[in-house]
Amino acid sequence: MEIAVNKVPDGVVIALAGRMDAVTAPKFDRVMDDLIARGERRIVVDLKDLEYISSAGLQSILAAAKRLEPEGGRIDLAALQGPVFEVFDISGFTSIFHIFDSPAAALQES
Amino acid sequence: MTSLEIARPAVLENLEFFIQGLSRWLADGGMRPDCIKRVQLAVEEALVNVFRYAYGKGSGMVLLRGRKTEDGLFLIEIIDQGVPFDICTAPAPDLSCTITDRKIGGLGVFFIKKMTDEIRYRREGDSNVLTLVVRDKDPGVTPFKDKMAQAR
Repeated sequence: MEIAVNKVPDGVVIALAGRMDAVTAPKFDRVMDDLIARGERRIVVDLKDLEYISSAGLQSILAAAKRLEPEGGRIDLAALQGPVFEVFDISGFTSIFHIFDSPAAALQES
Repeated sequence: MTSLEIARPAVLENLEFFIQGLSRWLADGGMRPDCIKRVQLAVEEALVNVFRYAYGKGSGMVLLRGRKTEDGLFLIEIIDQGVPFDICTAPAPDLSCTITDRKIGGLGVFFIKKMTDEIRYRREGDSNVLTLVVRDKDPGVTPFKDKMAQAR
């Protein structure tokens, strides 16, 4: 899985590409740990190029959101594609996260 | 179509090897790419469960076996010699709707059940044998844009 971190005026956009599974999800955890430690509170995860996600990936995203919430922070999700969207949907994650068509649309809503 | 058989130590580092072998076998069997991803998810969850819990602090092997029946069913078996665990009896996951209330974990078995047509468990001697039954078909997923609209 490739992770690209892009600092923007309103927060941080993390773009994920490839496969987020039990092997690669810890890489996301480390990036999030670093961002939260640096004081980032507004994070958008761009899933446009994510091809696959398993429960390990969902758990990583949820764990990061749980860490941010008491700090007044927030994670939004953007550009979910077919199979990845299906996984988020059946696990109820589309009800607990805000989902946008694009990172730009997410950042417009603060 | 040849059958599938991969045996490796039950460690996370072997996940990719198992999934790549599985995917090639499913593609050779004519399964469509979107259905292959669903099976990848079910098998990853089953394998990771074995990697993490089957052998406690010890070590052991896991065998991934597959065959396609004459009527087009893919039968995939995950076999380990770890502690008995009947996945079919695992409790339903927490699907709470807030970040605060939602528990981390518990989705693996849920995905295995959701992404397959049937799961069967049997204890055979000292082995756990989990069978995933999959028929290659259109999953009937609502078009993406409609789902997005429903989710809001």
